[in-house]
Amino acid sequence: MRTLIELNVNNESYPIDVEGRTRLLDALRDKCLLTGAKEGCSTGDCGACTVHLDGQPVTSCLVLAASTVGHKIVTIEGVADGEELHPVQKAFMECGGLQCGICTPGMIMTSIAFLKENPSPTRDEIRDGLQGNICRCTGYDKIVDAVQAAALELDGKAGSKK
Amino acid sequence: MTATEAVKTNGKANGANGSHQIGRSVVRLDAVDKVTGRAQYTADLHFPGMCYGMFLRSPYAHARITAIDTSEAEALPGVTAVITGATLSSDQAIVVEEEAHAARRVQTLFPSVGDKVKYHGAKIAAVAAVTREIAEEACERIKVEYELLPPVVDVQEAIKEGAVLVNDESTPADALEDGPFAGHPLHNIAGQNHRAEGDVEAGFAASYRVFEDTYIIPRAHQTYIEPQTTVADVSPDGKVTVWTSTQGHFAVRSNLANSLRIPLSKINVHGMTVGGGFGAKFGGIVDTYCVLLAQKARRPVKIAYTRHEEFLDARPAPGAVITVKTGVSEDGKLVARQAWALWDTGAGSGGCYATSRVKGVYNVEHFKMDAYDVNTNKPAPGAYRAPGAPQATFAGETQINRICSEMGWDPVEFRLTNMREGEQIAFKKTLQAVAERANWGKRQKGEHEGWGVAVGEWTNGAGPAGAVVSMHEDGKVRIFYGLMDLTGTDTTMAQIAAEVLGIPFEDVTVVRGDTDSAPFGTSSGGSVVTFSFGNAVKRAAEDARNRVLELAADHLEASIDDLELAGGKVTVKGNPEATVTLAQLGQMALRSRGGPIVGRGSFSSEPSATTIAAQIGKVKVDPETGQVRLTELYNSLDVGKALNPQSCEGQMEGGLVQGFSWGLMEQMRYAEDGRNWNAGLLDYRVPTALDFPDIETVLVEEPTKNGPYGVKGIGEPPIAPGVAALVSAVADATGVWINEAPMTPERVLSATRGAKA
Repeated sequence: MRTLIELNVNNESYPIDVEGRTRLLDALRDKCLLTGAKEGCSTGDCGACTVHLDGQPVTSCLVLAASTVGHKIVTIEGVADGEELHPVQKAFMECGGLQCGICTPGMIMTSIAFLKENPSPTRDEIRDGLQGNICRCTGYDKIVDAVQAAALELDGKAGSKK
Repeated sequence: MTATEAVKTNGKANGANGSHQIGRSVVRLDAVDKVTGRAQYTADLHFPGMCYGMFLRSPYAHARITAIDTSEAEALPGVTAVITGATLSSDQAIVVEEEAHAARRVQTLFPSVGDKVKYHGAKIAAVAAVTREIAEEACERIKVEYELLPPVVDVQEAIKEGAVLVNDESTPADALEDGPFAGHPLHNIAGQNHRAEGDVEAGFAASYRVFEDTYIIPRAHQTYIEPQTTVADVSPDGKVTVWTSTQGHFAVRSNLANSLRIPLSKINVHGMTVGGGFGAKFGGIVDTYCVLLAQKARRPVKIAYTRHEEFLDARPAPGAVITVKTGVSEDGKLVARQAWALWDTGAGSGGCYATSRVKGVYNVEHFKMDAYDVNTNKPAPGAYRAPGAPQATFAGETQINRICSEMGWDPVEFRLTNMREGEQIAFKKTLQAVAERANWGKRQKGEHEGWGVAVGEWTNGAGPAGAVVSMHEDGKVRIFYGLMDLTGTDTTMAQIAAEVLGIPFEDVTVVRGDTDSAPFGTSSGGSVVTFSFGNAVKRAAEDARNRVLELAADHLEASIDDLELAGGKVTVKGNPEATVTLAQLGQMALRSRGGPIVGRGSFSSEPSATTIAAQIGKVKVDPETGQVRLTELYNSLDVGKALNPQSCEGQMEGGLVQGFSWGLMEQMRYAEDGRNWNAGLLDYRVPTALDFPDIETVLVEEPTKNGPYGVKGIGEPPIAPGVAALVSAVADATGVWINEAPMTPERVLSATRGAKA
């Protein structure tokens, strides 16, 4: 049975019809036409579908769309500030933290949430924080570089505001 | 430049290199789209009226189909197509040409009634429906009856007398005279490769010591994070349009034409952004079926494999059982090597030729090998980054480390003593570079710690490629070609065109054409891309440059020889006043006799030179749990010339991790009944960021004369040494040589406990 629900994604309202079993990932990709979140495994193991639900990273393949009504969802399409990319996005570009790019949206969503929890992490802490996102191309070294560079950039900005 | 040069960007891109556009770590052209979610992968496509394709698969590894009834599926509302062996023409089959060095394979599209299914997960039928849910239900409604047959799962069982035959028509291969499989005809043989140089018997007789070991390595899955996906549409006049995740859209076009008996000109293939391929995306897994469903449904159809399907029915790397016998002299020289190998090629064939890599990059006077593709009840394997090299290198290089350990020789010194030398190769320099970076001579280890070193060789292939470099009216430049960019190669091509035309890299745009529009481009496999397309683009840019200089010579009333092209303008040497910008020339060209500036470049094939990846790893083994932790990693590679050093490092580090993780944790597992045991990412473990330490990467540059600016192809070699280095490090830590990969905690624990008992 299909039901009309309204999702708040990237601060916009999306009225969509879903079934009870519709996953958030499918609602985002097929109904909201936001295809930045990727499907790599459908079992929550690869992290390519990571989005933010009320600021927390979740694998959207394991979340039912209907359960997210009334919550704030942010996808990779919503992290840049207008034309200004998020410092984590910039750092992934500059540090070579991406190759094929299929894990990149999820990796960036996890990194942004992680850096909010831990603004000045060690490399080991970054590795720990990213363990739910699989990348098969980079060997992770340059992804850790990127998160570290973003942490410095974000920390600098936070410092300048004080 | 012939000297070894270590370049390490170790930081952000955009490192300046004078006015040069090559040799710089520029930000990838596709980076913005990839960090913002804008990059379009095949699964992101939605078309009006699009249907979803799905497969019904065999739950058994070996069975004969006695009946298929699709009537209830066809009657389900919303189903737009159902196809089985019975609905297809008998001259249609899967035809796949992989990389230039891999075999061409043919298999039927579906088994029909009376035929056998040969592996768990084999396709029996495909359906298309207006929703995924209806497609799923339609598959459930297809009734198939099977007569179960005993499966054969292990290659060492499959070759024995009386073994179950996977291919009923196969005939036994002649018995060997020596080695572990000697004495009886070999069964289930799908292919064989034999080589002999010198006289191994005499070599072993003359050796001071002779070692013999058998190495076993399981199948591994490439595990690209984007599963195989295709969208197909067929117009009323029969024109087929395909959007697909592939390493080679021209290969897909030719495979579809050959498989489905459609003329090339009636097929147009769009290569979409590829979410990882590593050798597995040359087509034939979903694209052929997608076209057949679209033909029948008369609507666009999308098939997106699930991760589960990836493990059941794609083309993973073959496992292998390789016995190696090696004779050494008293003063530490390799005298003779012999290998006997069984490659687990499932229901298919191809791969056993890679056994020749057991010989390695060493001077070995006497070498002999007898290698076989062996059928088992598993899916046919395919290419995985340097196909066969990690398996053969595991056997060859691990044994070298064991010999060194037993003889008290240093494994780096031993390799340096025995390595071949020659023009355009830098084996010794590359190994020395990584040994220096790891401080090998003064390496320290604590309790339960160990070091492993290994090298893996590879020579890039080359393939036909065409490119067009043309100038906009504002003096900026575009490249048009049929290159499938997997690894950042579009960016490198832009750097090459910019270098030739004396403009900033940012002034070059790159356009990939579909197969209807672009000049032919070989597939992105076999490490061919930068070597082959690089030459084509360089030639096209040089052609455009010639036109630019002709126009400038006319305009400046000077001889071409007196002109200098740099910084976006052409100037008469010694007369800075006499100058014209590329923007002016771009405009002038439109009104000139010759018309717009269009440069063309084509390349077919020229030989490259062999490179090696040299890698060193340090591990710590937990004696209580058997868990192996990598604590340090070093790697070097002779890249010929690093056009984009950051990109080179990315290839090296990614390949290194794939190699080491095959040695550490990756294995496709099959039960005794042939069913796949770990068809998901929870059970088939690939490494996360937590499983690997930082990697120290050293680029070595020994140019090859046929590569653009000396480039060697580097995509594949970094995966080759990892298994051997990892396994050897575990032996160094525990004192036990475990000859079966991967080094799972249970295997390490049982081997080390057994040794102590």
